[in-house]
Amino acid sequence: MTKDNDHISKRKFMEELYRYKRGSVTRRHFLGVTGLGTASAVLAAAVPALRPRRAWAQGDIGDRVVLATWPNYHDPANFEAFTEATGAAVDVNVFGSNEEMLAKLQAGGSGWDVFVPTNYTITTYVGEGLIDPLDAARMANYDASAFDPRFAGPGIVDNTLYAVSKNWGTTGYAINISKNDNVTPTSWKEFWDMTMDSFSGRTMVHDYQLTTIGNALKYFGYSFNSVDPAELADAEKLLLDAKPHLFAINSDYQPSMRSGDAWMTMCWTGDGKQMNRDMPEIVYVLGKEGGELWSDFYAIPKGAPHLDAAYALIDFLLTPEVNAKEALFHGYPVADSRVNALLPAEVLNDPILYPAAELLDALEFGAAATLTDPNRAELLARFKSA
Amino acid sequence: MRIYAAFVYIFLYLPIGVIALFSFNAGRHASQLQGFSTQWYGKALNNPFVMDALQTSLIVALVSATCASVFGTMAAVALQGIRGPLRTTFDLLIYVAVMIPGIVIGIATLIGLVTLFDQLNPVLAAIWPSGTPPQFSMGYGSLIAAHTLFTMALVIIIIRARLAGMDRALAEASSDLYATPMGTFRQVTLPLIFPAILAGFLLSFTFSFDDFIIAFFVAGSETTLPIYVFSSIRRGVTPEINAIGTLVLAASLILLVTAQVLLRSGRRRG
Amino acid sequence: MTQRSRNLLLLAPAGAWFLVMLVIPLTVVLIFSFGERGAAGGYVPAFTLDQYANLPARWAAFKNTLILAPAGTLASLLIAYPLAYYLAVRADPRWKTVLLVLVIVPFWTSILIRSYAWIFLLGGRGIPALLAAIGIEDVRLINTPFAVLIGIVYGYLPLMVFPIFVNLDRLDKRLLEASSDLGASPWRTFLQVTLPMSLPGIATGCLLVFILLMGEFLIPAILGGGKVFFVGNALVDLFLQSRNWAFGSAVAATLVILMLVTVTAYMRLIRRLGAQREDVALM
Repeated sequence: MTKDNDHISKRKFMEELYRYKRGSVTRRHFLGVTGLGTASAVLAAAVPALRPRRAWAQGDIGDRVVLATWPNYHDPANFEAFTEATGAAVDVNVFGSNEEMLAKLQAGGSGWDVFVPTNYTITTYVGEGLIDPLDAARMANYDASAFDPRFAGPGIVDNTLYAVSKNWGTTGYAINISKNDNVTPTSWKEFWDMTMDSFSGRTMVHDYQLTTIGNALKYFGYSFNSVDPAELADAEKLLLDAKPHLFAINSDYQPSMRSGDAWMTMCWTGDGKQMNRDMPEIVYVLGKEGGELWSDFYAIPKGAPHLDAAYALIDFLLTPEVNAKEALFHGYPVADSRVNALLPAEVLNDPILYPAAELLDALEFGAAATLTDPNRAELLARFKSA
Repeated sequence: MRIYAAFVYIFLYLPIGVIALFSFNAGRHASQLQGFSTQWYGKALNNPFVMDALQTSLIVALVSATCASVFGTMAAVALQGIRGPLRTTFDLLIYVAVMIPGIVIGIATLIGLVTLFDQLNPVLAAIWPSGTPPQFSMGYGSLIAAHTLFTMALVIIIIRARLAGMDRALAEASSDLYATPMGTFRQVTLPLIFPAILAGFLLSFTFSFDDFIIAFFVAGSETTLPIYVFSSIRRGVTPEINAIGTLVLAASLILLVTAQVLLRSGRRRG
Repeated sequence: MTQRSRNLLLLAPAGAWFLVMLVIPLTVVLIFSFGERGAAGGYVPAFTLDQYANLPARWAAFKNTLILAPAGTLASLLIAYPLAYYLAVRADPRWKTVLLVLVIVPFWTSILIRSYAWIFLLGGRGIPALLAAIGIEDVRLINTPFAVLIGIVYGYLPLMVFPIFVNLDRLDKRLLEASSDLGASPWRTFLQVTLPMSLPGIATGCLLVFILLMGEFLIPAILGGGKVFFVGNALVDLFLQSRNWAFGSAVAATLVILMLVTVTAYMRLIRRLGAQREDVALM
């Protein structure tokens, strides 16, 4: 952050942030008090492309841009700002899994301009000829050197830039510890054992193959990405045993966790953060055996109907202070060092967002093979229909 | 008996009550009441995507219901005068179209049209004289066409039922009196089957407006109101969805009452 | 213009529609069902019966559908019949229309939103909380087959009430009086007069609900929590998750054939039962 806003303490910043979120202060007030506004103004002066340019907008990039993304993953205020600046309304399509996104693109005629694939899917999109390379010159706010290569790397296939990093995170589980004598479990073994015991009828698992099968594999200490038939057979047995004890198989778990119908669920970083923020008894756990580390990207599908708007939207969302607001809203870590420089220390020191090294080291990136492996797909289908 | 009926009505209206109740919720979660507010109505009405989705749904429902009524009536009238294999073929097609589950219509239309377009688009590109050739793709067209398939079959069935009960002697008398076929249709057949056409139109409109599963597969990048609602439910419902539901319900009720009043006053005058 | 060519002209739009939107898509589904899944999903041309051989992998989905679709139809019938009877025979004629309209009004909000309301009602803060207050603890309703059944009955009730109502309403009330004048008990009158007279309505209502239930996807998806799996859900997953178009086509083709067989058999049966009646079913 710039020197101008040192007068506001970190605590005060978070207080203001919560007030802003609750809607008791306006965005302008929030940005003014916290200095984020000053920061944006300074940044905007430095980078001319940041200033809303009306002329650039109307007629030029069209009146709409279609974005396919994940639930609870954007600050609606940023879309409003984009529309105000460019005249293009952002049409948001929300998806539940990478498989579903791939299916829509494979079927053709999706009409998307920008979509948000996860690291392990990008080589498949390239192989299937479903995405176009990105022209870095059309994204003034894209600075390759600012990104952590660990998370931004999968966007580059065969030395060609296909996708730029959006956020990264982990997949662990969220548990309402008030239902567990305030004891916080630490492993996937406990997750599955509790599901079949004291938490029977209260656990949710994701509705797609990677994490549901992957975290069942972790129970036995196998690789999260295994496609080995014997290991998958063990995972299948566990899943089938657990199924009668599940509350639901559904990747939209926040409503059930918040209402108290579900007590434990497989969970992504940001959702864990969002629930923990409002209900401290819901905590986020990374299994010590490991699990998924992931990284999401912005990419443009082949034949995007509003290509100019697509680039404009990606460029806008990569703008460090816009991206910082996104991160504060959804609670997912960013791989862009320019954004992290704008985020308060509370966020950067948050153990949910930035887990301890030993927990992080045990995690694996999802492997491309799991996406297209017919056995994993069929296993999940058998599990769901059982 | 009356108590039983009361229970069924409670069963029918309990969810409606819940929807309406939470639409006035001040909080942003659809499962916790936090005071009274009408803000979600404002939010829904000012949300461009809700309005867009509503517009898409209305256009698709209107166009497909119109196509279904016009082409369905034409087919039903023509089928009256046809016997033989053609008649049998059409009977079979109508039967299959009505009976196939929406989900299969959606899937079959998706893969059928995608396959068809993959064949047609290169041809179109090859013969296009200059500039970028237009491309077939999923969207309004496929959505309207898929809805019309089912509703057209429905209209044909309804009108045929009406035509079957109609006195054929009337039409014969009309043509004996040297009326042209068109004249017979306009002055004799049409007035008799008009209520059936109207019923068919309304049914078609309702079906198309509320359809989710076919649209889910064939809408391409278009968003109808049910698709918007489905995607919002995934995001975690805010009372905005309840407000939309309540508004649609209220609008339909107002339309119904207006139609009733108009019909009654029309009848009195007639 | 001859009458025949005029008729052909009138049939042309509907014929073209059926060809492009029904015959071609169903043919493509049939062709795909003999193909293979591509490496990354989708479809690769082939000629194999593997997809049909693999059908037992979806046996559970077919079984659930074949149990819950008739059960849902029957439950709808049992709940709808007394209401239709009340509306047609017992209700105050002045209120009849209003009461009838009230049965359809809930239909005008999206089935999605109404099902979502049931998530709340069946969830921990809804009916189970009420039951807990009167001492019945720990009732779980949401995400069970029972919740799906409630959703089904709720969603399709009007489709069952209407045909039965129309039938009972046309029924000559003097018949009922005659029957009771002849000393028949009310129950006997119902069994021997009312019920047989309302069979066509029952047949139509059951057919409508059954057809819709066989392809149901939304209600199990929303109220079953992903645990209650119909063929419709299997199809959505096959096309939108595992992207196995070939196998998905085989499942779709099997569902269509299953429906053609059951519905045709059903209609034969109904025709035979009501051979002397002309207005048996909708079709």
